[in-house]
Amino acid sequence: MRRLFVARLIQSLIVVLIVTTISFFVIRSAPGDPFSYDSANITPAIREHWRAQFGYDRPLPEQFARYVISAAHGQFGYSFQMHEPVSTALAQAIPRTLLLTGVALGLSFFLGLMIGVAQAARRGGWFDRISSSILIFFYSLPDFWGALMVLLVFAYWWPILPAGNIVDPVLHDYMSGWPAFVDRLRHLVLPAASLTLLTMAGISRYQRTAMLEILPSDFIRTARAKGLPERQIIWRHALRTALTPMVTMLGLLLPVLLGGALFVEKVFSWPGMGMLAANAIGARDYDLVTATVVVGSVMVIVGNVLADLLHVAIDPRIRE
Amino acid sequence: MRSTFVAIAAAILATACSSKDGPPSGGTGANGGTMIYDAPADAVDVFPPYVGDLVGRFVQDLVYERLAEIGPELQTVGDKGFAPLLAKSWTWAPDSLSIAFSLDPRARFHDGKPVTANDVRFSFKIFTDPKVGSPVAPLLTNLDSVSVRDSLTPVVWFKKRTPEQFYDVAYQLVIVPEHVYGSIPADQLHTSEITRRPVGTGRFRFAKWDAGVRIELIADTANYHGRPKLDRIIITPTAPAAAATQVLSGAADFMDVFPLDQVPKLDSSSVARPMPQPQFAYAFMGMNPYDPKAKNTAHPIFSDRRVRRALSMSVDRVGMLHNVFGEKGRLAHGPFPMVLSVADSTLRVPPFDTVAAKALLDSAGWRVGAGGVRMKNGRPLRFGLLVPTSSSQRLRYGVLLQDQFRKIGAQVDLDQLDGGAMQSRVTGYDFDAVVTAYHPDPSPSGSKQNWSTAGIGPAGQNFLRYSNRDVDALLDSMSSAFDPARMKSYASRAYQKIIDDAPAVWLYDFVVVSAVNRRLEPAPMRADEWWANLADWSIPPDKRIDRDRIGLTPAKP
Repeated sequence: MRRLFVARLIQSLIVVLIVTTISFFVIRSAPGDPFSYDSANITPAIREHWRAQFGYDRPLPEQFARYVISAAHGQFGYSFQMHEPVSTALAQAIPRTLLLTGVALGLSFFLGLMIGVAQAARRGGWFDRISSSILIFFYSLPDFWGALMVLLVFAYWWPILPAGNIVDPVLHDYMSGWPAFVDRLRHLVLPAASLTLLTMAGISRYQRTAMLEILPSDFIRTARAKGLPERQIIWRHALRTALTPMVTMLGLLLPVLLGGALFVEKVFSWPGMGMLAANAIGARDYDLVTATVVVGSVMVIVGNVLADLLHVAIDPRIRE
Repeated sequence: MRSTFVAIAAAILATACSSKDGPPSGGTGANGGTMIYDAPADAVDVFPPYVGDLVGRFVQDLVYERLAEIGPELQTVGDKGFAPLLAKSWTWAPDSLSIAFSLDPRARFHDGKPVTANDVRFSFKIFTDPKVGSPVAPLLTNLDSVSVRDSLTPVVWFKKRTPEQFYDVAYQLVIVPEHVYGSIPADQLHTSEITRRPVGTGRFRFAKWDAGVRIELIADTANYHGRPKLDRIIITPTAPAAAATQVLSGAADFMDVFPLDQVPKLDSSSVARPMPQPQFAYAFMGMNPYDPKAKNTAHPIFSDRRVRRALSMSVDRVGMLHNVFGEKGRLAHGPFPMVLSVADSTLRVPPFDTVAAKALLDSAGWRVGAGGVRMKNGRPLRFGLLVPTSSSQRLRYGVLLQDQFRKIGAQVDLDQLDGGAMQSRVTGYDFDAVVTAYHPDPSPSGSKQNWSTAGIGPAGQNFLRYSNRDVDALLDSMSSAFDPARMKSYASRAYQKIIDDAPAVWLYDFVVVSAVNRRLEPAPMRADEWWANLADWSIPPDKRIDRDRIGLTPAKP
């Protein structure tokens, strides 16, 4: 177990290094730079002055060496877009994204599992067919479009929820306790629901298939022969066994959720990692782009390592 | 078990969808209210020497002040129309090479310190210090120095007498406090934390900047010009789709550029109303007269004036305008925005005439070849057209232009780029043609930056490298004319020559539709800055909602 953990850790470090290098060079090879934003007043000479001031006129290998040395000292550069050190910008954005993706992950897993189990238990029935069609519809929606539809329905046609932002931009500061919690919850509903809808379908399909493989098993037949109620067979025996492959799904779902967050955060003006990254790419905020890519990859790696460890913990065959 | 879960879920959902607590008390007097401005992006900079973006200018102009305020007519010659601001009066030297400003003794920075002549001198110093690298510096080149006659009398000295010398100092120079920023080395101002917390003399004071989330400005109740009618301005960077929804649902109060395709919703909305605003901007398709592959060689297509004119004559500008803007568009009439004081809508723009366009191309040696594309010396009439993905209007124009050029035998390859990439290509002269826009300031002399030979190069903004000695001379004469009528006459002649040379196809004049919540009573909007009179916007007490009633009580820590 320890050996496996150490091996995964070394592997992860190598991946992070590679990702850092690639993101550093890729964003810098794109046309434009932090000072090429559209502004009629800024002449090319001024832009050149700023580039020189911040070292963006130096050769790329030199810039990379400086970046690596700074990063090794815990300094990830300066964000021109946020006007603060990159580490400060990340420290504010990461918890917001973790909140959003955490809620979406929990909800999509819970609902996806429930629906998948119910579909498998009533295979071929009306619930299976109708829910499959609906879920495939959501699964096939592009993230951006799906989020826009949710926004349109619940914030404009039937305006019961706020259209964006993490809290009420004015009144939240004047709230405390329960009203502040409710305000936060209200603003979380639409972005979390959008992400959940977009990811839940995959989980339920996966769970349905896993259940369908388990249900004809001998131990299920034995349980039925013993006269156990069908509900107990499904929820206690079949589901518990079918959950093991779902742990792998957890690792696979993290990149999907983070990718989805990029669009959902943009649509709902949710100031998390996704919005930060999207704006940073547009503004060629080099250090911030590199840092968000690296943090994203670390989050995915950590998720996968956790999934692996969880897998080992619950499946004795792997431990052996 | 299941019923418990259902009950909990229903309670959470009901809580989330319920309205908030009762309104906070306060804010019931004549003044009060909160305006939420859904901005297209967060501010890039709010420290005046660096401000170059729209939201940065918005914050700058509400928090800081200039010596005098340009009038609603945006007249830039002499001091006619300018109203006192930080300076309560001014006196010209007999030779007009200096102006002594008398600062208003009541003027205080938001930290309580009085405004002095030293602050004016310091402001000039940092705006023009090469180590600071202010984009405003090239606009202050006629200012020689600022001396201090006494604590309330700064004297601004000019290198030469020009019609717009007063405008140069009054419109371009924003006064910042020396005691706040004076201790920061010039080359560290760009990243200094202090410059993110502006301290000015405007009627709104800076309260908070949560980067990427919101900027909060609150009323300066002790301001020497009187407090603003609103209590608070909240600027939230919001994606356009969410912003439009927020404005239509009342969650936000103002959006400066409402999506044109959704304006009908605004027309019928009981929450918000449309407010069309002319802008200091015009869009065009510029043609590079130099080969982008070999920088100082003539472009094989666009170096020929006949080809440029033929392309200009092959496009139905009116039809395209209706296609993109419906009834809300306004045609460009040349290299100027129609709100500019010297604009002239009577100039002769190449007419839409495809027969004449084809004949011109034939005479220039471009004959129809296989596949309908014209050829000359084995080279097809084919070029790339840069269009920015950030503007849906310019993207649509790109497609329409491609189609119209195809009809006369020109093949266009659309190159869609984001803002930064496009800016990089344009400033590097790496393009054949580009659909772009110029945003000049109210000064007619600004045309020199874009269309004179002096504007070519790193210190200018003549990205098409357009050069015509007659135009240079006329623009110089315009810049030195003290009589507005003569200024307009020179400008018209210069613009007509530019139009005749056809360096560009003049597409449209900017008119944006802003969305304003109906409970707000706006003051007149100025074409250069819609927010110029924001301190006089109000919300009547009977129309106020929860967020208007919080008053100026500080929030919980």
